[in-house]
Amino acid sequence: MNNTSYQACPECDLLIDLVQPEIGEKIHCPRCGLLLLRPRKQSIERTFALSIAGLILFVPANFLPMVGITLLGKANSGILMSGVISLFNENMWPVSIVVFLASILFPLLHISLSLLISGHLYFNRYNRNLVSWMRWMHHLDEWVMLEVYMLSIIVACVKLMSISPLILGWGLYAFITLIIITALLTSSLDKELFWQHIEQLSKDNKHAS
Amino acid sequence: MQAKQCALKQGFINCHDCGYLVKITQQLSSCPRCRSHLHERKPHSLQRTCALLLSSFFLYIPANIFPIMTVTQFGTGDAHTIAGGIIELIDGGMIPIGLLVLVASILVPSSKLIGISLLLLSVYFRWKINARRWTFMYRVIAFIGRWSMLDIFMISILVDLVDFTGVQIIAGPAAIAFAAVVILTMFAAENFDPRLLWDKQ
Repeated sequence: MNNTSYQACPECDLLIDLVQPEIGEKIHCPRCGLLLLRPRKQSIERTFALSIAGLILFVPANFLPMVGITLLGKANSGILMSGVISLFNENMWPVSIVVFLASILFPLLHISLSLLISGHLYFNRYNRNLVSWMRWMHHLDEWVMLEVYMLSIIVACVKLMSISPLILGWGLYAFITLIIITALLTSSLDKELFWQHIEQLSKDNKHAS
Repeated sequence: MQAKQCALKQGFINCHDCGYLVKITQQLSSCPRCRSHLHERKPHSLQRTCALLLSSFFLYIPANIFPIMTVTQFGTGDAHTIAGGIIELIDGGMIPIGLLVLVASILVPSSKLIGISLLLLSVYFRWKINARRWTFMYRVIAFIGRWSMLDIFMISILVDLVDFTGVQIIAGPAAIAFAAVVILTMFAAENFDPRLLWDKQ
């Protein structure tokens, strides 16, 4: 029952006899065209480095003012969290919770999990939670919406430009960098490679004990 | 030929979480690699997708008729619906941004609702379809869903920034309904199993 080289397409269930692709190659499903494998260069090292950078940038992106406006002689500037709080105070708590999850908590969890996982793989340490972390990260993928938030900042700025001059703060620049880092992180993280490493680590661990 | 290509008919289950291929045996109920439960297809895919879709259809009505935000200027309130905000942007000469919001908050949610209904109907009534093209449609639907959150995030920014004595922006009841529509349709797309499109051929 040697099925290591076989894989099934997750979207059309075609059984495919896969040849392990080279770095830079892409393998698509021959029947439905889904991108199946895309090995990346130094996937673990890069993911590890990028998650550290992302976690550091998370602090200025969340605590420095992003955009400010002046109206009637009074200045107002906002950070990610202050939007959540304003909505909450207006009895819009369902919306405020959604905004909090999609723009603060899930991105933070996603970067932390990828740091934990890639760190363990980088130093070849086994942890029995590695599998759960990988599964959580897989399910979080879709709910990290930093790039959508960026687009809404742009639209909000355009709307506000007509009533007041805008003050762009350092928080905004940190936020843009954070989005670039998360995009690089997602593209460097090769899930199949990670799973194979975790499988290997858990086998070694069983042998040792 | 088609039947032979399908992994399930050859006796294999593809793990939903890690993509590991598992040979079906009597005692195996969870994936040996990631320990998640194994299912031949996503469990109750049609029922769950249908339930989520129906709820989003109902919520889509209040999301569009109630105001999504109210701009108060020195005592006089001006309520905007989703469509009203877009018309205002285009009237103000900001056409590219107006079109962007039009796509994100009207075209994307409505085409998602229609698209998922078509996918459900085609599987349920076993329509003769080009499965490759319909799988591609599913992929597009699953990808674009999150971009509708644009309006919700924008409200949170505006409500926070425009908060002066005299001039204020307040979120309206449609914001809750709209956020619920976006999230429910994302769950609906996640629960739909595109492999059903290929099974019924």
